[in-house]
Amino acid sequence: MAGPAWDVVLPSGMSRRSFLRLVGGSVGWSLAGSVIGTQRTTAGAASRELSLLVGTQLTMKSLDPGRTIEASAYTLNHATYDSLVTFSGEDLRNPKPSLAMSWSVSADGRAYTFKLRPNVKFVSGNPLTSADVKWSLDRVINLNSTTKFLVDGIAEVLAPDPQTVVIHLKTLQPSIIPILSSSSLGVLDSKVVIANGGDAGPDAKTKDQAEPYLNSHSPGTGAFILTSYAPNQEVVLMKNPAHWRGAAKIDRIVTRNIEEPAAEQLQLGRGDLDVATGIGPDQLQALKGVQGVGVKTSLIANTFYVLMNNNPTIGGPFSNRKVQQAVRYALDYDGIMRIAGQGAVRLAGVIPTLFPGSLDSKDAVKTDRVKARALLKEANLGEVRGRITYRAGGSSWGVQLDLLVQKIQTDLVEVGMKVDLNGLASLTALQEYRDGKNQIGVWGWTADWPDASNFLVYVPGGVVGKRAGWPADATPDAAALAKLGQEAESEVDNRKRAALYQQVDRRLMEIGPYVPLFQPAVPYAFRSNVSGVTFNSVWGPDLYAISKTG
Amino acid sequence: MRLWSYILRRVLLLAPMFVGITLLSFALSHAVPADPVTANLGEHGAADPQVVAAFRHRWGLDRPLPEQYGIYIWNLLHGDMGVSISTRQPVITDLRQRLPGTIELATAAMIIGMALSIPLGILSAVNRDSIVDQIARVGSLVGVSMPVFWLGLVGILIFYARLGWAPSPGRLSMQVPPPPFETGFVIIDALLAGRMDAAVDALHHLVLPALVLSAYSVGVITRMMRGSMLEVLAEDYVRTARAKGLPGWIVVLRHAARNGLIPVVTIVGLSFGGLLSGAVVTETVFAWPGLGSYAFGSATSLDFPAIMGVGIVVATVYILVNLLVDVAYALIDPRIRVG
Repeated sequence: MAGPAWDVVLPSGMSRRSFLRLVGGSVGWSLAGSVIGTQRTTAGAASRELSLLVGTQLTMKSLDPGRTIEASAYTLNHATYDSLVTFSGEDLRNPKPSLAMSWSVSADGRAYTFKLRPNVKFVSGNPLTSADVKWSLDRVINLNSTTKFLVDGIAEVLAPDPQTVVIHLKTLQPSIIPILSSSSLGVLDSKVVIANGGDAGPDAKTKDQAEPYLNSHSPGTGAFILTSYAPNQEVVLMKNPAHWRGAAKIDRIVTRNIEEPAAEQLQLGRGDLDVATGIGPDQLQALKGVQGVGVKTSLIANTFYVLMNNNPTIGGPFSNRKVQQAVRYALDYDGIMRIAGQGAVRLAGVIPTLFPGSLDSKDAVKTDRVKARALLKEANLGEVRGRITYRAGGSSWGVQLDLLVQKIQTDLVEVGMKVDLNGLASLTALQEYRDGKNQIGVWGWTADWPDASNFLVYVPGGVVGKRAGWPADATPDAAALAKLGQEAESEVDNRKRAALYQQVDRRLMEIGPYVPLFQPAVPYAFRSNVSGVTFNSVWGPDLYAISKTG
Repeated sequence: MRLWSYILRRVLLLAPMFVGITLLSFALSHAVPADPVTANLGEHGAADPQVVAAFRHRWGLDRPLPEQYGIYIWNLLHGDMGVSISTRQPVITDLRQRLPGTIELATAAMIIGMALSIPLGILSAVNRDSIVDQIARVGSLVGVSMPVFWLGLVGILIFYARLGWAPSPGRLSMQVPPPPFETGFVIIDALLAGRMDAAVDALHHLVLPALVLSAYSVGVITRMMRGSMLEVLAEDYVRTARAKGLPGWIVVLRHAARNGLIPVVTIVGLSFGGLLSGAVVTETVFAWPGLGSYAFGSATSLDFPAIMGVGIVVATVYILVNLLVDVAYALIDPRIRVG
């Protein structure tokens, strides 16, 4: 009875006895290898290629550029697609040409004309044209997906000739150039994507069916080609030999999800990984002394901050401006910076120092508990009692949130406030924060594109402003600050824009319900035969820049 | 015949059980004080009503809850478990990819667990209070007490990082291209593809996580086997067997162990369920892409279709294992009547 079933299961030409011998032999071999420790796996055919093995926390929902803004997807899409502009390495200040060789701005500042690089081909062999750029941007505009905020300012995309793209903006928005570097705005091979269910028309949000295709193929012009994607497990890229900048130095990149940082550290230490980007500060310290391993940290365009709710019903005493100022002076920033970890930088305002328009760290508030107590006395509210909400057990950019929040609690108690900790499960905490129900919260905001305009979310009526119970029409002061934010965002002169951002940041420190703490630095490590590893705050490592010997 | 009709009745009972499971999973996952919008849209997207509306519409979250549940059940009856919000793949595809990894791990852990714990329990009982017994008791206490997470990390540290006996975490070495997906059991798929390198590599990768995962079962089953054997060894029929002059090992194995195994069978069944749950942690530590890590990811992103899918699969496994335990009871001990 079993015969036919075995015939179905077994490879052709293999008898049941040989199969059993094979399995038995494998078990024995493996166990012997485990016990004796003599057997090491060989890479077989794949070892002839130059492979790069990357360990990370590979968590993303999609590889469709138009539907993802997740960090892992940004890294991979940055390698498989090209955008009109880009940035080099860790720089976030100087946009560089990518698919666009050059661009110019109209006199009114609302139309940007891009000249495309000639002779660029997609992996299909199709030539890149302005129609592809227009189609790709139109698709993101019409998908109404999580990437929509990137193109909110675009009124229209035109393709007057095959090598020219014109982007008309709804209002003045000089940040459009850094925004266009986003991996989400990578240019797709429109013919191929349309043939596989893609739609960029006004009904794209319902008609576009290209996501499954884009989760298994990368019809872009990037340096690498997606060859396999197992969600939350592993992604394999092969180099694109016809890439316009010249083929990448690495033939094959395997990126694997390793949830546990300690396991990632050990694998890098033993040479089973080439690059580890999912490690924390503890692993960084441990790897520092390991032979054959290099470690680095890179600043992240992120603001760790304390939020106090301006809505008296929710914020209670913490909605009082004097209490908010008292909190600023009560914190022991030296102690907080020790928790922030190696490479982190103290913030004087909410705009990270990586961007023009940020305040100098030297101007940051200094701990002054006498002043804090005096401010509390001036507030004359009796006992100041509150509750800090945060993601219990969580970590962000390697910073352990429990430690940070406990430190803040201790500091506030020092000046006579009574603060309880409200550590919640990640999603519940995030929900409470987004619903604007945190009395006090400890959060971070990371730039989605390389520009200070990201951080206008803090002004009254901005995304974070609303969460802090601070609508644009809260007070005349708030309305003026919201207006100043708009001015900064639309100022086309770089120098004036930077000055306006500084003005916004200073004013936020005077009247805003926030305490900016620090910008973190991400730790990562790599084998010493690997070079060119950098970590861009928006898209992580630039895989094209990495090379490896041996 | 009575056994077969019992099995048939138990199988038929699966249908109402499934309804209960889906209803419970649905109700519990919707009772969480968080919104899938929060879990799945970024900061900007969640703040844009148009994006939120499009997201809710796409995933059917804009319909009333009873309607959502009704649609889910209707689709389920047609073999459609929906599409995962987290992976954008059909849940059935995800389960097909993830379940074999967990079954592979849990089965290996169970085999290791039984192979170690049953003889150890018997030896421990037969040599009560001896050094063997003391070692077995301490060992099983350690197995029960040690958190799998810690044990896994220590295992990796010693056997992988220090001694180099175990391979790196994962189901396959990163240098080894995976075999074409056929069954999802990497070892079998590798053999089917004639890829001995991948089969050996996969087996090699299985040993340490399976050993770690089996620690708890080894502890529990050893203690249960020992206790059960001590009880049986004091029975009159064992004394009679000894009095008849039967060799000691025959008395222990043929007369005592068979009866001593009866309560252990229940524990083995329950342990298998425990292994599935324990796999969540083990899979995280060992970067093992199985159902556990899928369940965790689904729960943290409020991926309702995936949560329901995992609930159904895990419950089915539990039910089937319990059924097997009941059948095994009847086979081991003819005095037990099913039905």
